[in-house]
Amino acid sequence: MVGMMAAISREKFAGLIDSAKFSTDVPSKLDNLRKLKEKFSRAEDPHLVTEFLPQLLDLHTDRCSPVRRFVAEIAGDIGLNYPDLLPEVVPLLITLLRDGTPAVARQAITCGISLFRRALTKMAIQGLYSSELDDSLESSWVWMLKFKDEIYSMAYQPESDGRKLVALKFIEAVTLLYTADPSASSEPPEDQTSGEMPDEFNIAWLRGGHPILNVSDLSIEASRNLGLLLDQLRYPAVKSLSNMVVIVLIKSLSAIAKKRPSFYGRILPVLLGLDPLSSSVKTGHVSGVHHALKNAFLSCLKCTHPGAVPWRDRLVGTLREMKAGGLAEEALQQLSVGNSVITQDIKPSTEVSAVRKRGEVQDANDLNKDDVRGKRARSAASLTEEATQDSKGNSGNTKKNVDNGPVQQLVTMFRSLVAQGEQSAAMLEILISSISADLLAQVVMANMPNLPSVCPTQEGDEEMDNSGQFGNLTAYLTEMISPSNNSQVTHSASETHSDEPQKPEVEGEHTTTKDDDVAHSVMDSVTDQDVVPTDPPLSVDIPSITTLTSAIPLEDTDIGELEDGIPGLDSSTRNDDMPEIQVDTSLADMEEDSPEQITNIARSSVDNILPSMSTDKSEELSPKAAMTDVNSINSSTATSVQLPSKLVLPKMSAPVISLTDEQKDNVQKSAFIRIIEAYKHIAVAGGSQLRFSLLSYLGVEFPLELDAWRLLQTHILSDYTSHEGHELTLRVLYRLFGEAEAENDFFSSTTATSVYEMFLLKVAETLRDSFPSTDKSLSRLLSEVPYLPKSVLKLLESLCVPGNSEQNEEIHSGDRVHQGLSIVWSLILLRPPTRDVCLKIALQSAVHHLEEVRMKAIRLVANKLYPISSISVQIEDFAKEMLLSAMNDDHTMDNAELAKDTEMEKPLSESVNAITKDVSSEVGQPCTSETPSITDAQRCMSLYFALCTKKHSLFRQLLIVYKNMSKAAKQAICVQIPKLVRTIGASPQLLEIISDPPAGSENLLMQVVQTLTDGAIPSPDLIATIKKLYDTKLKDAEILIPILPFFPKHEILQIFPCFVNLPPDKFQAALTRTLQESSQGGPVLTPTEVLIGIHSIDPEKDGIPLKKVTDACNTCFQQRQIFTQQVLAKVLNQLVEQTPLPMLFMRTVIQTIGAFPSLVDFIMEILSRLVTKQIWKNPKLWVGFLKCAQLTKPQSFGVLLQLPPAQLEIALNKQPVLKGPLVAYASQPHLLSSLPRSVLVVLGIAQDSQSVSHVQSTQSQSQAHSQSQSQTQSQAQSQSQSQAQSVSQAQSVSQTGDTGNSDKEVVVDELKESSTS
Amino acid sequence: MEAHFILKREGFDVSSYGTGTHVKLPGPSMREPNVYEFGTPYKQMYDELRRKDPELYKRNGILPMLKRNLGVKTAPQRWQENMADGYFDVVFTFEEKVFDMVAEDLHTREHILLKPVLVINLEVKDNHEEASIGARQTLTLCQELEATDRWEDVIDDVISTFEQRHRRKVVYTISFY
Repeated sequence: MVGMMAAISREKFAGLIDSAKFSTDVPSKLDNLRKLKEKFSRAEDPHLVTEFLPQLLDLHTDRCSPVRRFVAEIAGDIGLNYPDLLPEVVPLLITLLRDGTPAVARQAITCGISLFRRALTKMAIQGLYSSELDDSLESSWVWMLKFKDEIYSMAYQPESDGRKLVALKFIEAVTLLYTADPSASSEPPEDQTSGEMPDEFNIAWLRGGHPILNVSDLSIEASRNLGLLLDQLRYPAVKSLSNMVVIVLIKSLSAIAKKRPSFYGRILPVLLGLDPLSSSVKTGHVSGVHHALKNAFLSCLKCTHPGAVPWRDRLVGTLREMKAGGLAEEALQQLSVGNSVITQDIKPSTEVSAVRKRGEVQDANDLNKDDVRGKRARSAASLTEEATQDSKGNSGNTKKNVDNGPVQQLVTMFRSLVAQGEQSAAMLEILISSISADLLAQVVMANMPNLPSVCPTQEGDEEMDNSGQFGNLTAYLTEMISPSNNSQVTHSASETHSDEPQKPEVEGEHTTTKDDDVAHSVMDSVTDQDVVPTDPPLSVDIPSITTLTSAIPLEDTDIGELEDGIPGLDSSTRNDDMPEIQVDTSLADMEEDSPEQITNIARSSVDNILPSMSTDKSEELSPKAAMTDVNSINSSTATSVQLPSKLVLPKMSAPVISLTDEQKDNVQKSAFIRIIEAYKHIAVAGGSQLRFSLLSYLGVEFPLELDAWRLLQTHILSDYTSHEGHELTLRVLYRLFGEAEAENDFFSSTTATSVYEMFLLKVAETLRDSFPSTDKSLSRLLSEVPYLPKSVLKLLESLCVPGNSEQNEEIHSGDRVHQGLSIVWSLILLRPPTRDVCLKIALQSAVHHLEEVRMKAIRLVANKLYPISSISVQIEDFAKEMLLSAMNDDHTMDNAELAKDTEMEKPLSESVNAITKDVSSEVGQPCTSETPSITDAQRCMSLYFALCTKKHSLFRQLLIVYKNMSKAAKQAICVQIPKLVRTIGASPQLLEIISDPPAGSENLLMQVVQTLTDGAIPSPDLIATIKKLYDTKLKDAEILIPILPFFPKHEILQIFPCFVNLPPDKFQAALTRTLQESSQGGPVLTPTEVLIGIHSIDPEKDGIPLKKVTDACNTCFQQRQIFTQQVLAKVLNQLVEQTPLPMLFMRTVIQTIGAFPSLVDFIMEILSRLVTKQIWKNPKLWVGFLKCAQLTKPQSFGVLLQLPPAQLEIALNKQPVLKGPLVAYASQPHLLSSLPRSVLVVLGIAQDSQSVSHVQSTQSQSQAHSQSQSQTQSQAQSQSQSQAQSVSQAQSVSQTGDTGNSDKEVVVDELKESSTS
Repeated sequence: MEAHFILKREGFDVSSYGTGTHVKLPGPSMREPNVYEFGTPYKQMYDELRRKDPELYKRNGILPMLKRNLGVKTAPQRWQENMADGYFDVVFTFEEKVFDMVAEDLHTREHILLKPVLVINLEVKDNHEEASIGARQTLTLCQELEATDRWEDVIDDVISTFEQRHRRKVVYTISFY
């Protein structure tokens, strides 16, 4: 059965190998191989494998690289599963290492790693338990070593491709295998006889001895490997590496460092010194390397092994420079929290900070009082000498910092300035004052984590006086600067790994160069110290030494401020020093082994407090201090060698009080409140600019739950002006804005955004409510904040466009509107992005229903905004739209709602009175139901009107839409147009519009022209324009009326008929105009001329109905003040001379006699002249003549008698009533004789013959007699008589009908006359 | 998830993970985010949020996003808890913080297979439009990497070409399984 199975498998194996070999395409080959691999791994029978291995291995020459790679993979598997076959597998892998395709080689190496581990483990374990080893094992080990060397050589080949990466990993693996794992058990596993391989292997197992493997040899090799790896990362080798290789190297090294902390001392200096910039010039991919480094450092930092502890400060420092300070902190925190064992480890670091304190005081002391440069140089030099005694020395190979941003740059700048000591204090001042407070705050915040972990608390001091708090803050600020320096020194220390002593050069620098060099040299010398220890424990004290120099700035800046005499700071400096003394003394009991040093500290710090800062004293002291300090360094380095065993310092275990979350919150809250409180004093003292940024940063750092913003807000708003609320608010808002815009996650940025909005809104609301409207704070705030959220714009809108619903008197008073509008204006000017929104607000306000609001807004829009070219179009469009909306406005408006508005309508309606005819009647009653819609129309149109005054061409639109406007809108326009037109004046644009008016706008146009000519002398242009308009387009003479007074006489006469043709009221107006005093003094036309003009109209020729002409005459006659009897007489006098006589002549005569009866004599004269002119030849006038004669009887009798007999007869026939009185009249003796006989015959006085005439004469005589008798009587009767006559006449006229209308008219006129008289 | 969606659609064998401690979705206010454990099915979140305030979550795009996610996978997974998912050829991250976390996580794991893995960070802002742009670029990059036989030899060139073409910075590193 088994045999059969084996046979089957064998066949299958063979088949698979063959098909793999002979398949033509790659996928099928791979597929076969995959099956094969499965078979191999499951093969029960090792012989089978052995049998087919050669065949399989033959495949390694296959053309296709994937096949070869797969072969390598299978070989690796086989090697793992059948260690006995290693001698066959490994040579194959070695061959494959040199394969042309990197992927194949990589696979070989990958297999090699596991094979090597397996082989080594097997070797080691076998050797542990027996002194004799298998031959096969030995031979495979030899092969493995060969393989290893082969891979080694690949790893260091100059060209870097994929296989190098894996080769490096191989070296890493080997190095790890060859060195003892401190975290794993060094005891070998108990029972290894079963042949099971342990997963873990530790070379420490072999310490007891091994036949082949020599632990020390192996560790030497590992060390050499490490050295080679490190060399690759060193300059200049690193330059030739590809990015990937560098990353892999960094990762491998950090992994080694982590797993074998004993290598920290070798690996970290190289890694810390690696400059991502210079290393990857070739590819330009700095960030990858940067990341790898950062992660490497972080993982090293997290290592809890005691050997790693001394490196923490340097790592943190470097990480901070890489902008990963936060991560570093986190890592540290995890370290201290997570592990209870770590309490031990922390001690060195606390010690470090303690030593730093000492250093600060010491050195500050040293430098503060050291005015003489030489002095300092000497002390430094002495230090250097001291240092170089036992140092290998090194160059001050300070390299440029890798700057990651402006903050980092600034930190560097601060450092270098601070390093120059007191001389540059002024410079420092300038720098601080010149950079933005925001940036400074960033610098401070960036350095915040560098604060000493032993914080100088001084509750008592603070409670005693306020300046204590204040002083504390100053101390904070200044201290923050010092750690930055600290890190730089650490950094520079880390650069120094060149091994050549450079002492002479350093010395030279001291003597020749300036202060800054001295400062550098101090650092250099310190770093000299730092390089000495090659063993990790020795370097424990490095941070403490480096801080020696770094402490300078603390005191330095402080003094700078003091000297400048910033008020309120004086008291603080003293307080600054206090904590240090405390710390120092507290240190005293810890550092029992160096009492001398302590006294030194005590002395120096006491010295430091002396405000005088006497130089002489310090000069004595400083060299000594330096010396002692160096001594102490030596001593401390000496002691720190045994540090691991001496770590227990029980004094440092601080009492830990665990607070509940709530308590923590409270503490934080009160701390924040306290800080804010302190700002009140700062505000008084000045210099708050610098600190505001800090406060806003603090707010951001604060957990949201504690609502730091509200506290801050309360502070700001409690006294906006004296707390410099504006500045602080801006800082806060900019900070929040920065948070929101920073590419953080969605969540935090939206949080910041909402906080921003709330903050700004709250401040804005408070400013609005609590400040008078004249205050500019709100405006200033809104124009300076980073951006305006919607809510704030809404607030602004409610300010500018007070709604109907909320009748808040205070807010919506006109002043508030004014305030809102001026804010809007400034926003439009200053914040182009919000322009649209603000403009919309302004425009909404400009059509507000309250006139007060509207007028203010319109003034703003028209006067200020409209001239801005970028938005003028928008404004125009809006205004136009509103205008059109007014056009379509519905008449049905809610009266009740707008009733209140009618009050303000009244003053307007007064001005309306002046306005013309058709509209005035409507507008004259402002309280009608239409008023609201007028108001509404006005609401919509006012803006447009205002714009028209700015851009006259807009006026055309008004004319265009006028036609289709609702009645209310028209009324509204009429109300406003005079004002508008008066403002515009007769500008060229307006004239142009007038000259070509759109259809339907005549009424409006008329009004415009009227307004233009009203009260002012129209310009010649205007007159010309109107004339032209009249001549070309508008045939309506009405348009000319306003300019009539300015026409020359002949022109008026020319066009006069047209006026006559106008409706009576229009004509009346024209008449008034014509007769009014013109500019030249007298009227253009005298009344006489007017009347004559009217009479000279020929209805036929001029196309004017006669009725119109008579109407015109009537109109004239109605104005008796103007058309006096003199005028009429003059007119008639002139008319009677005309030939032919004007058609209406007789009518006028009759009217004249009706109007002025006293003119009767004059009329008679006219009549007699007519007789001479043979009036009867003109039938129409003849009728009028007769009528007139009848009207004027008996005076007319004389005239009648002048008529030739034939005509007289006709006349008497036509007017029979005349006959009797005329006969009587003619019968008078004195007349009788003078009358020709023919006349007498007509009268019937004389017969045809002589006889008849005689009889007649007697008759007439008697008649005359009786008449004379009744002379007095007749006078009285004449009125009634004439009345009766006229009635009868009227009857007769209507019966005959030949005289037409005109006659009837006359009658009516006469009736009127008589009724009035 | 957008990238997952697109890559999956294009036939890549792809998984997606979060690296934080919780799944955090914006809530009604900034102080009340919706916090879920990893492993909570998208469906559940979807239903829950829809019940809470459908308007709000539709408006801020959360619901549509969850709906899309529903179609991609059942529940959000956490990178650190899913080592068992096996090895990947390439890991894409879209935020530097995440990139660091992944790189560190990979670094701290035991390197047994010694199989290289490429970790690439494509900085993408956390909003819907940027995400879709980023996802498309991810796809391009994946396709380019796929086109090369083995990325280890050419990655520097591929990345710099990509950077030039899309005018953006790409951070990448290598790690091993």
